[in-house]
Amino acid sequence: MILELNEDQKMIRDSARDFAEKFVAPVARQLDVTQEFPVDLIKQAGEMGFMGVAIPEQYGGSDMDYVSYVLMMEEISRHCASTGVILSVNNSLVCDPLLKYGTEEQKQKYLKPLAMGEKIGCYGLTEANSGSDCASMKTVAKKDGEGWIVNGSKIFITNGTNADTFIVFTSTDASLGNRGITAFIIERDMPGVSVIPMHGKMGIRASGLSELVFEDVKLTDEHRLGDFNKGFKVAMTTLDAGRIGIAAQALGIAKGCIAESVKYSKERAQFGKTISNFQGIQFMLADMHARYDSARLVTLKAAFLKDSGKNYSLYSSKAKILAAETATFASNKAVQIHGGYGYIKEYDVERFFRDARITEIYEGTTEIQKLVVSSTLIGR
Amino acid sequence: MKFFVCCKQVPDVAMAFQIKDGELQKDDLNYVLNAYDASAVEESLVIKDAVSELDLSLVLMGAEKGKEALRKGLAMGANDAFHIEDDAFEGSDSHAAANVLEAFFKDKEYDAILCGKQSQDMDMGLTGGLLAEKLNIPYVTNAVGLEVNEEAKSILVTRQGDAGQEKVELSFPCIVSCSNDMNEPRIPSLRGIMQSKKKPMNKVSVADLGLATDAVGKSGSKSTLLSMDFPKARKAGEKFEGEASELVSTLIDKLTNEAKVL
Repeated sequence: MILELNEDQKMIRDSARDFAEKFVAPVARQLDVTQEFPVDLIKQAGEMGFMGVAIPEQYGGSDMDYVSYVLMMEEISRHCASTGVILSVNNSLVCDPLLKYGTEEQKQKYLKPLAMGEKIGCYGLTEANSGSDCASMKTVAKKDGEGWIVNGSKIFITNGTNADTFIVFTSTDASLGNRGITAFIIERDMPGVSVIPMHGKMGIRASGLSELVFEDVKLTDEHRLGDFNKGFKVAMTTLDAGRIGIAAQALGIAKGCIAESVKYSKERAQFGKTISNFQGIQFMLADMHARYDSARLVTLKAAFLKDSGKNYSLYSSKAKILAAETATFASNKAVQIHGGYGYIKEYDVERFFRDARITEIYEGTTEIQKLVVSSTLIGR
Repeated sequence: MKFFVCCKQVPDVAMAFQIKDGELQKDDLNYVLNAYDASAVEESLVIKDAVSELDLSLVLMGAEKGKEALRKGLAMGANDAFHIEDDAFEGSDSHAAANVLEAFFKDKEYDAILCGKQSQDMDMGLTGGLLAEKLNIPYVTNAVGLEVNEEAKSILVTRQGDAGQEKVELSFPCIVSCSNDMNEPRIPSLRGIMQSKKKPMNKVSVADLGLATDAVGKSGSKSTLLSMDFPKARKAGEKFEGEASELVSTLIDKLTNEAKVL
């Protein structure tokens, strides 16, 4: 058993770390305040090859593995979880399904510019009244001769404000529930498409959150992604891999919490010595790091299974449970270690605390992941 | 044109170091490309974009792990790399390193050899100068800017001196040691990392260089590292608050009676 990164993976981690320290860290606090999508930063990330890490070179990607993708996500999210999720959505929720289900024409037309970072993608599944129960979606694609007409709306869409290419899930036969969903590629500039920015999130505030509205949007069969009425499978397999990216984002947040807490505990003096001398602080740091390390191993295993062509869905669910809970745990402890200073915006852990919370919610709540894991144990 | 950059792999100085019984504990260290060498690679790549043609090779002497530092330079954009690897190098000082590099360069064609002005681990700053002496070619230290004149086959070096910046023109072939104030080395993109796998990484041994084993390693060295230790922690200074007139007399009292310097 070899538990060591290979040379490529170490190089990618180091490049992502250098990029994050040099370009992401200096703007992260400001992005949180302004809630503005980091247009220039994402362009730079695209030039680095971070927008299509595991996409083959022929489709504009960096041709690396999923382990590398995890490492990149962790390093970026260590400084800015908003930037992390923007990259995660483009990589795993948009590029991945285009690679897996797209036709050659769709790959050339849509995947290539997305993987190269020339365009930005978003993933439209969630609706106002349809979250974990995605079969209840109200966005409808109605057959119209050879084509389709789409009506409805999607909410809480990451990257929406700046995305050019949307993967949208529609109900094509409501009577069939999950088996009546079809995925489509919709372009931002199509007639009938509108994007309404959403503000006021607790954390990951610069992720371009939007509502997407579709009014009589005309599509042809060339916009259909995957088979007719097989959209549920597209959505679920995409989220299976997406969870690995979100687990990596959560690990990055936890890593940031640990780094900032270690640093602060060695600077802050009380009762005549730095607080790193007190067991109460030492135990918190040890708990944070032990949980971080175990969640990281499971996340890397999920990525490794995916790279090996094996079934990874169980591990991606376990990774997301563990990493997300680690992020919220570590951010809570980080604020505690920082005391009153952790409660004000001047210190990054205040932002990390707010950013961490979403990782237990989006791309399948912790509870949904637990259903996946337990159903394997119980065998249903 | 043909440039070489001499590279060294050093422990990441941002990490916490452990020293036990006078020896640096190396197991938990991360190793990186020496930052000054990275600046030399970056400057060469900037020149490469500006001139009609430049072939950039990297050379590193050191353990097997050293190829990671070379790969970083290749991922940044260098054309190929030479890895001089031999167990016999263990314990080399700057003099022994310069012996190896002299043997490497003696049958090579080149216009300029760039190196970092020093390594981040030992901070000696000797190898470039020793190598220039051995190769008998002109040498300038602590460069903060380079301008190549292709026609004149020369390089105009701006160097940071004690009293300000100096401009020195060197004719090819020459050696320049580079400061990290010269540029911000580029971060290798994933594409660069992918391409670096396909670039030539040439292995060179001591025997290939025709060197006797006593010219390298500890026996080829003129200095020996006896032991390492952390600098002694300094006591925090005393702070005095109050009116200026009181502060001055307190200070004079301390300097006279405690420090005994007045």
